[in-house]
Amino acid sequence: MNGHSYRPHSFTWAVVILVAVTFLILPGSALSEKKPGGKVDPMQITTATATFDPVRPEAARVIATAFQAIGWDVTPNPIDYNQNVQKVIMEHDYDMWLVMLSGASLRIDPNVFIYKKHFSGEYKKGGWNWEGLNDTGIDELAVGQQKEMDVEKRKKIVNDAQVLIQQDQSMSVLAYVEMTNAYRSDRIKNVVPMMGEGIGSFWTDINMEVVQGDGYVRTGATSPLKNLNPVAAKDHLEFMELRMIYDRLFRINPEGVAQPWAAESYKIVDPTTIELTLRKGMKFHDGVEVTAEDVKFSLDYQTKWKAPFFVESLNNIESVETTGKYGVRIKLKEPYAPFIPNLLGAIFIIPQHIWKDIPEKADVSDPMNFANEKPIGSGPFKFDYWDRGRELKVTAFKEHFSAPKCAGIIRIAYGSHDAMAAAIEKGECDRTRYILKPSLLLDLQKVKNVVAEGYPNHGFYTLSYHTRRPPLDDPAFRRAVDYLIPRELMIEAILSGFGEPGGSVIAPANKFWHNPVVKAHSEDVAKAKQILKDAGYTWDGDGKLHYPK
Amino acid sequence: MQEYIIRRILYTLLTLFGVATILFFIFRIMPGDPTAQVISPALDPVAQARLKEAYGLDKPLLVQYFLYLKNLVVFDWGRSFTSSQPVIDIMAYRFWNTIFLMGAAMCFVLVAGTGLGMVMAWRRGGPLDTGGTVTALVFQSAPPFVTGLLLLMVLSYRMDLFPTGGMHAAGVSIGKGLSVFLSVDFLHHLVLPTITVALYYLATPMLIMRDSMLEVMGSDFIELAKAKGLAPHVVMIKHAARNALMAVVTVSSLMVGFAIGGQVLVETVFSWPGMGQLMVEAAQSHDYPVAQATFLVLAAIVIFLNLLADISYCYLDPRITMGKTRA
Repeated sequence: MNGHSYRPHSFTWAVVILVAVTFLILPGSALSEKKPGGKVDPMQITTATATFDPVRPEAARVIATAFQAIGWDVTPNPIDYNQNVQKVIMEHDYDMWLVMLSGASLRIDPNVFIYKKHFSGEYKKGGWNWEGLNDTGIDELAVGQQKEMDVEKRKKIVNDAQVLIQQDQSMSVLAYVEMTNAYRSDRIKNVVPMMGEGIGSFWTDINMEVVQGDGYVRTGATSPLKNLNPVAAKDHLEFMELRMIYDRLFRINPEGVAQPWAAESYKIVDPTTIELTLRKGMKFHDGVEVTAEDVKFSLDYQTKWKAPFFVESLNNIESVETTGKYGVRIKLKEPYAPFIPNLLGAIFIIPQHIWKDIPEKADVSDPMNFANEKPIGSGPFKFDYWDRGRELKVTAFKEHFSAPKCAGIIRIAYGSHDAMAAAIEKGECDRTRYILKPSLLLDLQKVKNVVAEGYPNHGFYTLSYHTRRPPLDDPAFRRAVDYLIPRELMIEAILSGFGEPGGSVIAPANKFWHNPVVKAHSEDVAKAKQILKDAGYTWDGDGKLHYPK
Repeated sequence: MQEYIIRRILYTLLTLFGVATILFFIFRIMPGDPTAQVISPALDPVAQARLKEAYGLDKPLLVQYFLYLKNLVVFDWGRSFTSSQPVIDIMAYRFWNTIFLMGAAMCFVLVAGTGLGMVMAWRRGGPLDTGGTVTALVFQSAPPFVTGLLLLMVLSYRMDLFPTGGMHAAGVSIGKGLSVFLSVDFLHHLVLPTITVALYYLATPMLIMRDSMLEVMGSDFIELAKAKGLAPHVVMIKHAARNALMAVVTVSSLMVGFAIGGQVLVETVFSWPGMGQLMVEAAQSHDYPVAQATFLVLAAIVIFLNLLADISYCYLDPRITMGKTRA
């Protein structure tokens, strides 16, 4: 070839990357052993790579450096995010994990952060207590709040639990990250921010008005939409689109409270019986009326086919029966306080006349494999088209009881945060659906007619401690290292100022459930050393930390 | 000759089988699990088992493998784990998007590249030769996403001549199939990514054509043609260029193959929903059916174009005859 050898590109690279990833399974650091008086073993902070989230490896590096102040060697270990989940949640093979628990609406109810994150029985494959905390005091409160159907009584238990949880410190809340969003103020007005969702909220979807243009709001996201099957959807980003097309019995309002939506009213007859009355005259987008039968069908169908996102909550249902054309009675196996916000406020009403034939008529064996190309729901927007990998278009459903004020929404997938920011700057995109990188927000703040702000969030970055590995099994040790975390520095330097120092697992943004007594600790190396000294830890001549004798 | 072609096709099929097998296992060796993506309630063991069942991952690995091979033979690619759609539908859409982009770029590259290469060799050492070589090498050495970003910065952000990305403006219908090329909006979106890809690939056919031309130009028959008193452009095009094309054909077929695999970064920079982006998404989310299919199609294209180049030799160069002694 005349001395020119052709350099193969994509394919070879892909293979090289694949092979590299295969061999990059960094061996988890060997299980450390508690040796009285012995040196405290070095540990790793597992986290995602910068490609996934530039904040995480940076934060892990800052914290690892801070931990060295007490003579303890800690190194950051950024690996592929998928592998993070696998190693930590599925295999419990890690020392510390720096992760973001995003402000999904499911996490507004305190059950997730109090019970699932701290109950000892949740230390299992796929369970959320991956720290392995086992504290009878916390267990009692966690179970107690879950069974308490009276809101005020439940609030008291949740408050107590927050205090105890901070004392035990199985995870350090690092910072509540603000939802960094942007929109064109010359094109849309009346955005309604919501905790954990910012202006990408459902309430913005139905309330915003278009000032200029064809009435459609171009909403940008940084990843293509994956799935429009309400039964198979698995993550929050899919739910953000599906919830426009499909309706729910309850919706979580901007203040974080579940309010009746498709259900006109409800009554808790006794701790295990809930009675709902549906709004009359609701229609699916094909004109068929929504009745109690559809609600019963939706719950039964998703129980039968074990819809992965809801299967756990659905297991609480004993039976669903209709009481007339618009009445539904749900019996629970036992009292379950988060049932209304986290199941009835999340699961979708699907039309019985369509889904009763799925999967049979769709030529698949399982509704999970049903592509639902033309979704029909009863939500405030009806499906228009979905140009895969690029855009989804929905149009206002004028017959809905809370019809949107805009003509519709076009969701556009951009290749990167930078591309989305440029599109907003140029006026090709009207608003963000989810987070826009904080550094880009600072740039957009200088652009005319663009509002770029941080909105409150109950989600946060956290550092999980594997409490079954010494020295992290010692609550005093965990309390001490919490004082080493330079929260202010991290927020300024890494989050461009869009964050609040983290204290309680229930964020201040979640006003109803947050306990104001539980505050963020500020950096205090002397205090950390004092706690360790009091617990019997010592230092050797090189300044390295040793276990109590 | 026939025997040779049949043998080559058999080898090709064997190679494809090998690639298919490697792909099947390599994605499953990759650490991580398609059912463990984001921290969601779907991580509950019951939900996990449910997902494995729906994806067919609850069957033993070998059973999965044989099912996969069986389905490959009948071109059943299965359904995507993430979108529940048939893989073939997802790919068809993404594949054509890439073909539109790469097709436009490759046509330009091949025509301009060989043409320029030919003239550069003819006027060896002239300003066009030196300038062209340097420019082409600069763009080939610069990662295409840098070129792309620079073009975007200047022509889109600053001068506002072109859109920032995508295949069409939001909400604009550009039609289906080849009719997209009739849409002004589509062409407007196509310009910058095409230039980016073209600049990157231009050096390959251009420099090979140039080298090959120089070699041919030293041959006796060129001297003879000149001596016959033929016009210089006739000698250049009819005698020299035609013979020099051989090398370009080989390399171009490979180049086109790789290009179709997509310029992942170019597609990302321009938010172009093509194959390259799909491959990355699928590999990241452990969507085995989509990942396997995209990589296999790409491999098949490269292997097939190779085969085509080999066979086309027989026709382009009458001196190459297979399995027979020259008469």
